[in-house]
Amino acid sequence: MAEGAIKLGGKRKSIFMDKVKKLLPDGGNLNLCLTCGTCSAGCPATGLEDMDPRKFLRMAALGMDEELTSTPWVWMCTMCYRCVYACPMQIDIPALVYEARASWPRETRPKGIVGSCDMALRNQSGSAMGTPPDDFVFVVEDVLEEYRETQPDFKDMEAPIDKKGAHFFLNQNSREPVTEPDEMVPLWKILHVVGADWTYGSKGWAGENYCMFLADNDSWEKIVRTSINTAKELGCRVFLNTE
Amino acid sequence: MESIEGDAGNFQVTVRERPRYVDMDKCIACGICAERCPRKVKDEYNQGLAKRKAIYVQYAQAVPLKYVIDADHCIYFKKKGRCKACEKYCPSDAIDFTQKEKIHKIEVGSVILSTGFKSFDPRGYDVYGYGSLPNVITSMEFERILSASGPFQGHLQRPSDNEPPRKIAWLQCVGSRDLHTGCHEYCSGVCCMYAIKEAVIAREHAGGDLDTAIFFMDMRTHGKEFDRYYDRARDEAGVRFIRSRVHSIERAGPGSDDLQITYVDDGGELKEEIFNLVVLSTGLEISEEVRKLAQDLGIDLDLHGFAETSCFTPVVTSRPGVFVCGAFAGPKDIPQSVMEASAASSACAVLLADSRNSLTQEKTYPPEDPIIYEEPRIGVFVCHCGINIAGVVDVPAVRDYAETLPNVVYVADNLFSCSQDTQGLIRDAVKENRLNRVVVAACTPRTHEPLFQETIRDGGLNPYLFEFANIRDQDAWVHQKEPEKATEKAKDLVRMSVVKAALLEPIEPLLLGNRHKALVIGGGAAGMIAALDLADQGFKTFIVEQKEKLGGYAKYVRKTWKGEDGRAFLADLKERVRGHERIEVLLDTKISHVSGFVGNFTTTVTTGSAEQELEHGVIILAVGAKSLKPDEYLYGQSDLVMRWHELEKLFEKEPERLEQAEAVAFIQCVGSREPERPYCSKFCCTSSLQQAIDFKTRKPGLDVYVLYRDIRTYGQREELYRKARELGVIFIRYSLNEKPVVEETRINGKDKLKITVKDHILGIPLELQVDYLDLATAIIARGDEELAKMLKVPLNEDGFFLEAHMKLRPVDFATDGIFVCGMAHYPKPLEESIVQAKAAAARAASVLIKESVEVEPTVSVIDQEKCIGCGLCEACCPFGAIELIKVSGQGYRAENIQALCKGCGICAAACPQKAIDMKHFRDHQILAMIEAGGEGR
Repeated sequence: MAEGAIKLGGKRKSIFMDKVKKLLPDGGNLNLCLTCGTCSAGCPATGLEDMDPRKFLRMAALGMDEELTSTPWVWMCTMCYRCVYACPMQIDIPALVYEARASWPRETRPKGIVGSCDMALRNQSGSAMGTPPDDFVFVVEDVLEEYRETQPDFKDMEAPIDKKGAHFFLNQNSREPVTEPDEMVPLWKILHVVGADWTYGSKGWAGENYCMFLADNDSWEKIVRTSINTAKELGCRVFLNTE
Repeated sequence: MESIEGDAGNFQVTVRERPRYVDMDKCIACGICAERCPRKVKDEYNQGLAKRKAIYVQYAQAVPLKYVIDADHCIYFKKKGRCKACEKYCPSDAIDFTQKEKIHKIEVGSVILSTGFKSFDPRGYDVYGYGSLPNVITSMEFERILSASGPFQGHLQRPSDNEPPRKIAWLQCVGSRDLHTGCHEYCSGVCCMYAIKEAVIAREHAGGDLDTAIFFMDMRTHGKEFDRYYDRARDEAGVRFIRSRVHSIERAGPGSDDLQITYVDDGGELKEEIFNLVVLSTGLEISEEVRKLAQDLGIDLDLHGFAETSCFTPVVTSRPGVFVCGAFAGPKDIPQSVMEASAASSACAVLLADSRNSLTQEKTYPPEDPIIYEEPRIGVFVCHCGINIAGVVDVPAVRDYAETLPNVVYVADNLFSCSQDTQGLIRDAVKENRLNRVVVAACTPRTHEPLFQETIRDGGLNPYLFEFANIRDQDAWVHQKEPEKATEKAKDLVRMSVVKAALLEPIEPLLLGNRHKALVIGGGAAGMIAALDLADQGFKTFIVEQKEKLGGYAKYVRKTWKGEDGRAFLADLKERVRGHERIEVLLDTKISHVSGFVGNFTTTVTTGSAEQELEHGVIILAVGAKSLKPDEYLYGQSDLVMRWHELEKLFEKEPERLEQAEAVAFIQCVGSREPERPYCSKFCCTSSLQQAIDFKTRKPGLDVYVLYRDIRTYGQREELYRKARELGVIFIRYSLNEKPVVEETRINGKDKLKITVKDHILGIPLELQVDYLDLATAIIARGDEELAKMLKVPLNEDGFFLEAHMKLRPVDFATDGIFVCGMAHYPKPLEESIVQAKAAAARAASVLIKESVEVEPTVSVIDQEKCIGCGLCEACCPFGAIELIKVSGQGYRAENIQALCKGCGICAAACPQKAIDMKHFRDHQILAMIEAGGEGR
């Protein structure tokens, strides 16, 4: 935090919060803060880096743009929206956090998140783990076969990929196919039991989107579009986001 | 109410009366029906924490105290004619299952809507777990838990396991100051005070071993004496006040009924606490039912469902002739609601002044029988009160015993002495047996003494020749398990009453003349409104104003908080006062002497060197208040530092000043809420925010800072606070021990101010460079000690006039005929001054309309032969009803002013010479009773 007194008043300059307000419906209510502390009481990142959502918003209100756009705390926000949920003024603090992230030069943003985003851009899967479409198809088919054989109740279970005209399009966090393949099965079973008509897509199947967490708008959009376009091409009616 | 047809002055109202299934004339509220009723129902009055029966009274103090059958639950109605237990056991045959719904058509000239509020239901507010966590309750539920007539008889215990809680938390602003769907943007205005009260009382009930914490955003204790209460709760009662809003309430652990609260302190540190009970301070709202009613009646509502009113006419709805008071006109507390109630009645009285007394009937009594001056001939009537008395006391035995007592010539016992036919029997017995004293041994004089006094008056006796023996409340009810002793006690009580009855003397009514004129002291908005309401009702009214013009503080109000033009209002008001044939305005005039009493005041006033006497029946004090000129924050030293409306006035006169300004600041609570002046000046937050919004709207690029301690935009004024924030006004909270520091500075060749203040969230110093600073300084009393002394009315510690009772008599004094309104009572915004002025007018009119002033004649009598003129009685009398007069050759002697005497007896107790006696309670009467009481042993 800044040393010495913060000087306010004098010629009014355009401040960071004003820019963010222009981007949000109703300005995200960013001006309405009562400094009541509800957000900070519910925030899992309160206290990290000597920061919490209330302080963060207060700094924005006071025009402390430099501190606002340089604190690493913004990368500790999980975007869980617990703050907004209970805030009596319904202030969109996560949106402010997001724009603060976006103000960081890409190369200075946290390596892990940058890496995961870049990985997802490498192929058509959109997977933060870099899993190519073929690998995903193989794992799904392999696991399905195993369950059909060992569990007679599910001998007819399906896990379709690129099934044209399916009602539901499902995405899938890539951690499961890569490290815990069995974890995909419970959802398949439910869909099987209720008789849902669904499909994965070989392209854009990965549900996680680190580019969003990275505040990299273009890449975020690219990954989302890949998924949506696949669903559209297959003629699916409903997109089930499992993330 | 189904509908209102017609116009102001001539309405036809249709009212639907639901059947009660109990004959109100017969029900004696003994409660046997409810005892016998087998059907238990959730008790709404106790917020569902207890059960009632299908036949019930809503609560113990209900008026009228008559039972009612809840047909939605009654077995008779549910199962076609079964049960009828109530009918079977009712001792007075009051149950009537055949009653039908009735439609009444009522002709009235005006209507007052006082439909009240509904408490916010926090069920939808999921983060607080109400409805799923048993020990999360609403403040209304907690009120019932604390009440002696509540579900736990006033024992402090929590719902889950009926264990006494050791830690209780209150969460403020639940449903209020909240933009969530279903919640309300406005402040409910009363929750801070009731939460403090609940915490203090809870600690009293728990005997001190209780931790209480109130979680709040802004502490809104803006009413009269409220801040003192807040200070005492914190400093003396040990209530913890935590400025933090709680995110969510969670179960303290698996299987636990305790509750975990996580919050951040001012510094942002995360804290966790476990509480046994959490009370949600739920706000006030208008129910759907009332909204619908308003729609049907054609009454405009505001965005939040409250009746739309103007600040200038706060009790007037959009429909002429229909008035409003209480929470339906906006969230408010009891004192304000009571004042509004009187104000609404004044509005009606003005509207209907022409038809006053056109529908009244006067009751006449037979002349008093000369027998009252003969030897005592006492009649004794002993009441069964159904089985209330007779179930315990042997009533015939008491009756027979009474017959043996000296001077008793007639005795009787009655099933219900209060019933209409028994009244006739008593009246006849008085005549036939030539009785000249009557004793009734029955329920309690508290409710029934006036009835029996009336009965014997009808029989030709003086009402003071009546004596009540309380053998129900003070005997049968408290000695239910000892019927024989109760019977003996009843005999004792009857004997004592008979002895006193023999010594009773007729007392003549005390009728005093009444001058049907009013004196209003103070010509501000409150004084003028009060004068107009009285003059419009036909009463000649004097306004005495010490300044050379009318207007008072209201002339500074450019706009009300609702945005209405204050100056136009004031100009119109002055014109109406000036042009009124029944108002006489005396400017530049001072009060120099006041004498007399209700109905008969004589006031000497001085205009310049001329003196004159005004004769009038009532006095309304509307002397206003003034604002403090502080000696801090460079006030008086720098031209850039102003107070109250000075800054907006400057910007109005010289708009280029606003054009050139880059930043302005307001400092709140200057001189208020300090040890020297521990009260809130109530409307400074609203006033400063109005200006801040105005500046910011005219010049969005202007930086505006408000340095505050608590923002107190109570009620719907909260809208201003939201608007100001929306416009980008920056609010910085300071504390009393770290006040802002203001210094002069020059920036770019321009004189500016530098204000240093610590940011309440970041904990770092902020340095504000501003062009102007406006101080919201304390509103202080005028220093009216002399006037108070002349009128014999008290001032509070802060120099404001002290009303008779904060809630029940908010514009009266203990001294009859004198009323208070406006800022003389306490700092308040214009709309509240107007309400109070109208209330004072209503109260004053209730005196002025009477032909003569009738005073309770049970006053003290002074035997001047015994009096030694010591003056002790004069000093003791709280009503100024005794004065010392000079008797030639004897020094001073005390004299009673009957019109002022309340018959309290303090003087009689104090008199060392026993020269003072109380009529109807004379020493020898009381002593005889006491002696007779001992005879039975």
